[in-house]
Amino acid sequence: MNVFQTLMSRRRFLKTSAAAGATGAAVAGAGGLTGFAPARQAHAQASRGQTVVTKNICAQCPARCGIDVYTTNGRVHAIYGDTGNPIANGKLCPKGHLGTYFLYDADRFKGPMKRTNPRKGRNEDPGFVPISWDEALDTVAARLNDLRDRGESHRFAHFYGRGWGASDAGLYGDWGKLYGTPNSAIGHASMCAEGSKRAKQMTDGNDSYNSYDYRNTNYILNFGASFLEAFRPYNYLMQVWGHMRSKSPKTRVTTIDVRMNPTMAASDRALYIKPGTDGAMALAIAHVLLTEGLWDREFVGDFREPDMRFRTGQRIPPFSFDEKWVHGLTEWWNEELKDRTPEWAESVTTISARDIVRVAREFGTTRPAMAIMERGPTAHTNGTYNGMAIHALNALVGCLFAEGGMFYQMGTPYGGLPVNADDYLDEWAKDGDWKKHPRIDKARTPEWPMTSHMMQEAGPNHLKGDPYKLDTAMFFYTNPIWTAPNPQVWEEALKDVFVIDTSPFPGETAMYADIVLPDHTYLERLQDSPTYPFEGWPMAAIRVPAVDPIYDTKHFGDTLIEIGKRIKGPMGEYYKAIDNVENVLRHRAKGFEANPGDNGVNSFETWKEKGVWFKKPYHWRQFRGEFFEWDGRGYNTPMTPEDVKAKLIKTPSGKFEFKSGRLEQNAAYIEREVGIPAARAGLIQWVEPKHSGEGDLYFVTPKTPLHAEGRSGNIPHAIANQQPIVGGRNTVYLEIHPDTARARNIRNGDKVRIKSNLGTIEAYCRYMPAHRPDTLVMPMEHGHWAQGRWAQGRLPGHSGELTANVSDPISGLACYYTGKVTVERA
Amino acid sequence: MNQQNILKGPAGLGLLVLSAIVLVASFGYAFMSLSSQGHASFNTSSTLPWGQPIATYLYFALASSGLGMIASLPLVFGFKQFYPVVKRAIFLAFVILISGMAVLAMELGHVFRMIWVIPFNLQIQSAMFWMGVFYVADLIFLLWKLQKLENGEWDSKTSKQVGIGSFLAVLLASGNLALIFGMMSMRPFWFDGLLPIYFYLTAVASGLAALVFFTYLANGFSRDNMSASLQGLLDGALPKFFAAVLGGTLLFIAVRAITGLYTNNPEIYVVWRDYLFASSTYQASLWIGIVLPFVLMMMASVRTSTGTQVLVSILVFAGLFAERFFFVVGGQVVPLFKGTWEWSLIQYTPSATEWSLTLMGSALLFTLYVLGERMLNLSAEPPVTVGQASTSGGVAAHA
Amino acid sequence: MAKWGMVIDLDKCTGCQACTTACAMENNTLPGESWQDVLYYHEGTYPSAQMKWLPRPCMQCENPSCVHVCPTRATYKDMDAGGIVFVDWDKCIGCKYCMIACPYGVRFYADEKPLLEPDLREIFPSSNGQLWSPPYQNPEQDWKRGIGIQPPGVVSKCTFCYHKVSKAPAGTVDLDEDIAEVKEYVPACVRTCPPKARFFGDLDQPTSQVNQLIGDKHGVRLKDHTGNKPQVYYLGAGAGVPAFEPKPRS
Repeated sequence: MNVFQTLMSRRRFLKTSAAAGATGAAVAGAGGLTGFAPARQAHAQASRGQTVVTKNICAQCPARCGIDVYTTNGRVHAIYGDTGNPIANGKLCPKGHLGTYFLYDADRFKGPMKRTNPRKGRNEDPGFVPISWDEALDTVAARLNDLRDRGESHRFAHFYGRGWGASDAGLYGDWGKLYGTPNSAIGHASMCAEGSKRAKQMTDGNDSYNSYDYRNTNYILNFGASFLEAFRPYNYLMQVWGHMRSKSPKTRVTTIDVRMNPTMAASDRALYIKPGTDGAMALAIAHVLLTEGLWDREFVGDFREPDMRFRTGQRIPPFSFDEKWVHGLTEWWNEELKDRTPEWAESVTTISARDIVRVAREFGTTRPAMAIMERGPTAHTNGTYNGMAIHALNALVGCLFAEGGMFYQMGTPYGGLPVNADDYLDEWAKDGDWKKHPRIDKARTPEWPMTSHMMQEAGPNHLKGDPYKLDTAMFFYTNPIWTAPNPQVWEEALKDVFVIDTSPFPGETAMYADIVLPDHTYLERLQDSPTYPFEGWPMAAIRVPAVDPIYDTKHFGDTLIEIGKRIKGPMGEYYKAIDNVENVLRHRAKGFEANPGDNGVNSFETWKEKGVWFKKPYHWRQFRGEFFEWDGRGYNTPMTPEDVKAKLIKTPSGKFEFKSGRLEQNAAYIEREVGIPAARAGLIQWVEPKHSGEGDLYFVTPKTPLHAEGRSGNIPHAIANQQPIVGGRNTVYLEIHPDTARARNIRNGDKVRIKSNLGTIEAYCRYMPAHRPDTLVMPMEHGHWAQGRWAQGRLPGHSGELTANVSDPISGLACYYTGKVTVERA
Repeated sequence: MNQQNILKGPAGLGLLVLSAIVLVASFGYAFMSLSSQGHASFNTSSTLPWGQPIATYLYFALASSGLGMIASLPLVFGFKQFYPVVKRAIFLAFVILISGMAVLAMELGHVFRMIWVIPFNLQIQSAMFWMGVFYVADLIFLLWKLQKLENGEWDSKTSKQVGIGSFLAVLLASGNLALIFGMMSMRPFWFDGLLPIYFYLTAVASGLAALVFFTYLANGFSRDNMSASLQGLLDGALPKFFAAVLGGTLLFIAVRAITGLYTNNPEIYVVWRDYLFASSTYQASLWIGIVLPFVLMMMASVRTSTGTQVLVSILVFAGLFAERFFFVVGGQVVPLFKGTWEWSLIQYTPSATEWSLTLMGSALLFTLYVLGERMLNLSAEPPVTVGQASTSGGVAAHA
Repeated sequence: MAKWGMVIDLDKCTGCQACTTACAMENNTLPGESWQDVLYYHEGTYPSAQMKWLPRPCMQCENPSCVHVCPTRATYKDMDAGGIVFVDWDKCIGCKYCMIACPYGVRFYADEKPLLEPDLREIFPSSNGQLWSPPYQNPEQDWKRGIGIQPPGVVSKCTFCYHKVSKAPAGTVDLDEDIAEVKEYVPACVRTCPPKARFFGDLDQPTSQVNQLIGDKHGVRLKDHTGNKPQVYYLGAGAGVPAFEPKPRS
């Protein structure tokens, strides 16, 4: 039963004591390991030794804050934000400081291991035994060579979650091409926040999250973006929050969310919305903006005749409105928006019509204003349409590409690799049968035509053998046996797959591993990371190892390259030329020679020294309905509509589309899967969400500020501060409205059972009168069964086990927040 | 049979062995858990730092003070009818204080460090400093007084002066002990300038309980073994005095409860409403441990009987121990300023280690007491009052 | 000598607890031993409920009741250190009276039951007299001022990161993390605060940033009726601490 304990006792210690000395020994010796006394260590000196500060990037969320890592006498003892990093600006969120703990986590894997127990399951001890890196890499390479020889290379898949950059996930594309698999790699985007990307792609043509100019905005209309909890980049958002809330004029914030949270609490107005109905709210706001004449005429356009108006319930004549940078406004109004009144929206959202009108007037009369959103509104079956309705508000107030508005992220001008993969393709790679096979997750197939990744489908598809059975799967920074919706299916699915896990830490997927090739923790890595969408201008940060690896671990990029070197044929030659991660990064950094950063970074060495390369400003700007390009001194070069279409608004029409051309291209699919008549498919519109779970209460499982991706369930200080809203220190409580609880005879503090049609989990509850009575809130954190000594056995159970594998048919985003549950006293 | 001290016989030896065993066992358990887990073996915490060991210390220290005050009745104020119990009272005061200090020593983080840092730093602002000073003085005076009585000096001038000094030391020690709590304005449940009076009253009540119990114990729970003067005391002044003291205690509890419940300040009324009166243990200790004994002591028909007096002493023993516990813990159960992190009253139940300290203190008390009974003549009375049954100041029971 | 003071602007604070974790890692405190904590309160009911929060370091009182009660002078207000209240771990006897006497609940006796199991102290056991020895321990230590990891049986508390503050050049008025020369001397909680809700400087200098902010934004001190006179000031709405009310059981 106690898989973890067994695992611990089979660790290797050789490398531990040699490389890590007393530190590693003390770490490893803890936890009741037999035959291993903790090493004595000298009392900390009164005068500290030489302190070295190295640059790194925090790895606990996607924000990619630059960090200064303080190391004295070979021990990392502090992490602070890097002052020279434009995201961190010397600051950190609560997670960042706990990074040292990752390095010295007593539960880390300490070297490569192989499985000795062929049976897999939650209660099966994998029987891991330490092996050498050579044995590990040879084993994997032999398996892959064999698969390729048999003509089944498509049955190998890479899975990844948090890819960082060119030195890890950036290697996947060439790998797939050389080896011959469509499954390099299956990303986790569809289990992340794909909905907002797709909403933007369908309306303004950018399949991306936005960059934002918060610093200059005066109004934020926030639809469930968890701005002060989990929105990217959280650290910077708080910095800019401090600025926005004390600048002149103060930025006003209205937050629409399904639960009380810090963002709601700190906003000027908090509106509680019924889950999954944000689109209705946005449509009603759009309705008011139009009927009250509050839209931005310079961006949107205007009626030809001065006395024309948008009147509730009345159509406008075709060609009566001159559209400037938008497309389909007339049809949108006539076919959808004219009836989307605040009163109608009140009946859908439960937010009063009075509040909707107030918000619309504020939003429409304050400039610059922006409407932001993320997973809250989009993790529902109607998510893309919800997101499009929200994003349409940005077009209506003209904030796209404007000062105080939003835009998209520019790429990093990296140098090329020393060799080109196309020169190393053998016959199989060029024309092998593998090319006939779809991806295992069927993303970008007619089943999911508008998706990019569908990781949540990969497990179930393998189980069904449709389109085929996987043979071998390698996981990097992802743990679908726990994180996928309805992960019970994955527990079954991965039993007959040869699993290679690369996490430095134990986890559920690692418990299914046939071979474990542990990565370094982030403080030990040399790794690049171009920024997530931030402020638009390009940026790429780099991790510099603060200490030598304290265990026998290997950078994932090097693991990949080393396996590549062992593949027969030109692929092996290619990876010999690539050689290692440092070589990759040295070549990437050559791109900076021609593009020195604002902080003087122009080489690999200066990049490592400063930790980040960036080059301001963003190159484009919309100003009062005209677009301009940066000419080196200012936004002076006027852009033609063709320029705008090519560079900024990449829709079929080259304009912001209230009637989406891309959706219309998939009208038949939408009619079939969503039930919208094909002729209406392109319109931004209200679509009823379909709730899974068969319960009577909505079930929301948000991330809290201390939710370090995949890991904070096993970090003592994170656990202890996890849920301040109701004092969840040792557990995470189910937050329940007292009326809802009393109606079910549940007392404050009781243990409860939460049930859906998929399963039951247990939790302790606490009354939270600040939540909606129809909504249960339980921050997603605990319920791990193999993540480490603190995570194990800690209530509540895992919310994913109640979550049906239902996805938005358009974006493919797993509908994590759409399940309904029942609750009863345990 | 008269003046038969059963503790000098085999029963005493048995009790001595038994208490010594309990003492060694409870000390051993406490020592083992303290040295292996430190104070993590307590259920106290940073939000509720003072728990049952402090309450136990307080209980013992005040019982000692009460005994000291009772001893002053004849020695300072001339209530000669109390002479028959005075020596036992002084000895008990001494050993109970020692027992209390032993418990405190196990509670502190660094007890041996205390021995030098307090005198070397002379922090006269701290009531805790004065607690040390006054209780050391108290201890010295008790010893001194005991030594005087041991030498048969019941009425000498120095004996009188030592008595007065001892009385003052007791007043200062227990009054100051009250102020350790009573001066804490940030802990409104305790903040009370009259707390010393309440402590004096309850001190005497617990002192009387101890005195009555141990006197009966020494005499095999039989009046027949007692001197006539002692019998006279138990038939006359003592139960009345006990009744008066219990009445005063009740009055004080009532006044504190009424003001506590009346106030809007949640740090007081919530304690009374949701902690004290909501606890069946507190209710039981109040009604059975204090009210019932008061009623029994008020009833002239039953208050003089042996059974009643022994029962009352035991009930008051337990009742006042609970009273001390709820007093100490009650001042801390409302979380100071913790928001949602402490969403309700702080929960505290003593751990096994903490109980072992209480047990250890009690066992130490019994051990020392039986030793005292066996090695000294605690039933000694001044010659004048002895009357017909003459005895020297030395050993010896008289057949 | 300066009189160090802190200002916390509740209109900017986002309740993220970065101060709490920065402090925990800088000072190697145990889970729950939150020298710096953020306290959350919620009142009212959907749909008009409010939630607010209050970051709470040690107030380093001008008139510290903890110092008055300490029988050994182990806890003391060091006027030569900007008025910071320290605990001398070589003198503390662990009587915990100061914890009783502190109106702000900012003192800790970490020699207690662990908040979380398994116990970190057992994972990183000490062999050098400290309560525990994490491999990431800050090399700074000064037991006379309660800096470092405490031995068992003593009280610990916020030191305003004196091991940093004390290294600031003499005459420094504003310890502001945005001033490159003093960044390393700024207390951890102030330095990391993302919305810049915290400021640190010399309360004796009328020109200091902290005094300017206290003046402009009507700074208040928490529980001022206790007379302890904190050297920590709060700005903005929400500095009122709601009266304690036990949460309903049903």
